[in-house]
Amino acid sequence: MEAAVFLVRVLLGALLLVAGALKVGHAAELAAALASYRLLPAAIVGPLALALPYVEILLGLYLIAGLFTRAIAIVSSVAFVCYAGAIGSAVVRHIAANCGCFGPNDSAVADWPHVAFDLALALASLFVAYGAPGALAVDRKLRSA
Amino acid sequence: MNRRRLAIVTVLAIAVIAIAAIVYYFAGPQRRRVQTASESPIVGKAQVGQLAPEFVVSTTGGLFDLSKTTKPVFLEVFATWCPHCQREVAVVNRLYTGFRARVDFVAVSGSETAMDGTSTSSTADVLEWRRRFHVEYPVAYDPLLNVANLYLQGGFPTVAIIGRDKKVAYLNSGELPYQELSAAIEKVLR
Repeated sequence: MEAAVFLVRVLLGALLLVAGALKVGHAAELAAALASYRLLPAAIVGPLALALPYVEILLGLYLIAGLFTRAIAIVSSVAFVCYAGAIGSAVVRHIAANCGCFGPNDSAVADWPHVAFDLALALASLFVAYGAPGALAVDRKLRSA
Repeated sequence: MNRRRLAIVTVLAIAVIAIAAIVYYFAGPQRRRVQTASESPIVGKAQVGQLAPEFVVSTTGGLFDLSKTTKPVFLEVFATWCPHCQREVAVVNRLYTGFRARVDFVAVSGSETAMDGTSTSSTADVLEWRRRFHVEYPVAYDPLLNVANLYLQGGFPTVAIIGRDKKVAYLNSGELPYQELSAAIEKVLR
């Protein structure tokens, strides 16, 4: 169990870290992708596009390190459910939204496989939250200190 | 560092990211207001004969990435409230009908002001503009005015025609006649 949580935790962390890093410096493209979902008002799309990459990097680093594992895993799970909801709503409304998942070079269009992928990631995050913190986590050292 | 201090640092880091993003969005260097068609303060760095600045937008026809297209590109930067842009739709529609097989068309919003002249532009505003003025070519809402900041030539609409070599072949603003734009497109197609 400890090893499995560690493995899933690091994989999720690495995924968030890469997804965030690929978006850094491409706020305009991310804002366009977010706007293409037609869900958020302009006053939110802009700041969100600027902040989201760094929040994803932060979540990724914390998951990899195993710091505040349960809380971060729950936040990640909520984020993945939000992503799945946004993509699903675009598919249902027949909007050719740009996924925007992995930066400007990711030209994938929002579709059902993306919804399934994000829901799987949400479940994986819940698994990490359930078994937190897993092996090799900073949380363990803090508890024993 | 104990657990409580780490928690405080984490919350502070998230707060700093959120505040920085909000401040940058509303007061950052690229946030320049465009209010009137003839007094637009934005003059982008795009120049005729120079490489066209790259951009990616999510259009009604799908993702448009200038670096990946192999055809010449017809780019229009418009504002939904701008009467010149509204009248220019008929011209661009005619060009789109004639050249769509050989040229990629993309129109990108370049103002944060919506069609009513007071509220903030949005995807819904751009889609309403498309519906009301019967726009046939792909349009995109650009929340950060990235394309406007690169291409706008002091007024709406601004039209840029980019050749297969990715160089700007034509760049002008205002209500541009069909013959002039058609000739510019023919030139890049040769």
